[in-house]
Amino acid sequence: MRYAGRWRSRVALGVPAALALLLLVVPLVALLLRADWARIPSDLATPTVLPALRLSLTTTSVTAVLCLLLGTPLAWFLARSDHRATSWVRALLTVPLVLPPVVGGVALLMTWGRNGLIGQHLAPFGIQIPFTTVAVMLAETFVAMPYYVLAVEGAMRGLDPRLESVARTLGASDLRYLRTVGIPLVLPGIAGGLALAWARALGEFGATITFAGNFPGRTQTLPLLVYVELERDPQVAISISIMLLVVSVLVLGVLRGRWLR
Amino acid sequence: MSRLVPAGEGLDARICLSRGEIEVDVALTAEPGQVIGVLGPNGGGKTTTVLALAGVLALGEGHIRVAGDVWDDGRRRLAPEQRAVGLMLADSLLFPHLRALDNVAFGPRSRGISRHEARERARTELERVGLSDRATSRPRELSSGQQARVALARALATDPALLLLDEPLAALDPDTRARTRSDLAARLTAYDGVTVLVTHDPLDALTLADHLVFVEDGRVTQAGTPAEVLSEPRSAYVGTVVGLNLYAAHGDSHGHVHTADGGLIVTTSPTEGAVWATIPPSAVSLHRHEPEGSPRNAWRLRIASVTMQGQSARVGLVGDVALTAEVTLESVTALGLQVGQGVWAAVKATEVRTYPR
Repeated sequence: MRYAGRWRSRVALGVPAALALLLLVVPLVALLLRADWARIPSDLATPTVLPALRLSLTTTSVTAVLCLLLGTPLAWFLARSDHRATSWVRALLTVPLVLPPVVGGVALLMTWGRNGLIGQHLAPFGIQIPFTTVAVMLAETFVAMPYYVLAVEGAMRGLDPRLESVARTLGASDLRYLRTVGIPLVLPGIAGGLALAWARALGEFGATITFAGNFPGRTQTLPLLVYVELERDPQVAISISIMLLVVSVLVLGVLRGRWLR
Repeated sequence: MSRLVPAGEGLDARICLSRGEIEVDVALTAEPGQVIGVLGPNGGGKTTTVLALAGVLALGEGHIRVAGDVWDDGRRRLAPEQRAVGLMLADSLLFPHLRALDNVAFGPRSRGISRHEARERARTELERVGLSDRATSRPRELSSGQQARVALARALATDPALLLLDEPLAALDPDTRARTRSDLAARLTAYDGVTVLVTHDPLDALTLADHLVFVEDGRVTQAGTPAEVLSEPRSAYVGTVVGLNLYAAHGDSHGHVHTADGGLIVTTSPTEGAVWATIPPSAVSLHRHEPEGSPRNAWRLRIASVTMQGQSARVGLVGDVALTAEVTLESVTALGLQVGQGVWAAVKATEVRTYPR
């Protein structure tokens, strides 16, 4: 009886566990199996891929810089404040994390579009944001910044608040404390947050295609190109996908030891 | 240690604020060069006092004046970085990524001094605490005692008018503590500002401070020189700290002292009215049978605890008069003292001191 019971529970738990593993792993294996490794270098050098690659690299780099410059101070304010409003801001920050990216794209159009909240004031000056490279950057920042801010805030909360008290009695302003003590001590958290945000920006599709369109050389990033090439030349799409997969694994390597044990 | 200085050059503070459960109302005054020891049970308001002096916490009411400058008057408050203050806490809280020298130079640099001058100053400060050879070490490469000395050097490198030491030795092991205590004492004699030393270790306070302030439940329960406090404790906590049996009592002119718990103590130095009565634990002798002779106090008490302290033992006694006796280890074995046992405790009337409450 005991023997049979043990087998029954093994099957009852083991089968769904194995299925879950297969659901996650098989697609990756399928992608790798379908790759034509010899063709990858030439595929990545085609006239359509290079501009997309360049665009993806520039826009994600700008996103990373925006996260660093704007997100770090925000993370600091969230980390040091115990005000009730802080938890609301934090909750607000997590919305883009769970929001369908397409909805994010629509929201961005409502903000920066010709009749948008901000866009209508820019139009008279001849400034148009939607369907430009700037729009790509805005879309990527919109989806990626929350990852960065939450990661860095977590790291900053781990700092002993008394360090800041001591620094201030020594005459350091907030800015100097952050520059010379706060940020150096959370560098690992900042690196992890950047990697996470950058990876999210690199894979951005829904908000970008909605808000920035799909114009080669201007707004067509790698994920958008994969989508287009799948119709035209699936092998190119696979080659790009392999490259993105490799990049993702590299980012995982950066994150290892921070969130993954 | 007090010097002839114009009034208002030292520390003049009344700190009133509420923080969490506790309402703090503490007055502190000191002249330059003085070390005030602030003692009290945990959660009594010591650290709150320090943080208000540092400017991390705002006063609800009161004032803080240091070296003639107003730091806080309940309305206008200088930020910590605007105050000439030095702060050192139990864990030395050095900046872990900076070398010892740069930790000490951090203050001068933050106050706008050039990198070169700040480093020169830091070198001098490290020398004063005997650590010039560890300037390039990172905090984790230093022993806990060395870390504490670097933290002291860092706090003093900005020439503070007020130096705040919050349990500076609490995180150290006993050996290191004794050595660091004398280092600290040596450095403080050369410092001409006011030092506020928060501690729960009476030895720190007695060896480092020249004025003691006891803070309990947010209030000052006793203040005075170590000698005054040692001879005339005025709260149960202070009594414990200075190691005396202390009773809130009522005295009459015949030398009878009635304790609040209903006990009777006889003294040869009567004080009438509400009094404090003290009995040194070393003046208590223990006997198996009722002792003879007079005038002395003798009570039949029960042994509640026995703890060893070096070559002597402290015996906690309960009964008509709660009493701690300090006896030799020989008498513990000779009398066969055991917890729960009854024993006679005798105290000469000349050993009982009374003073007005």
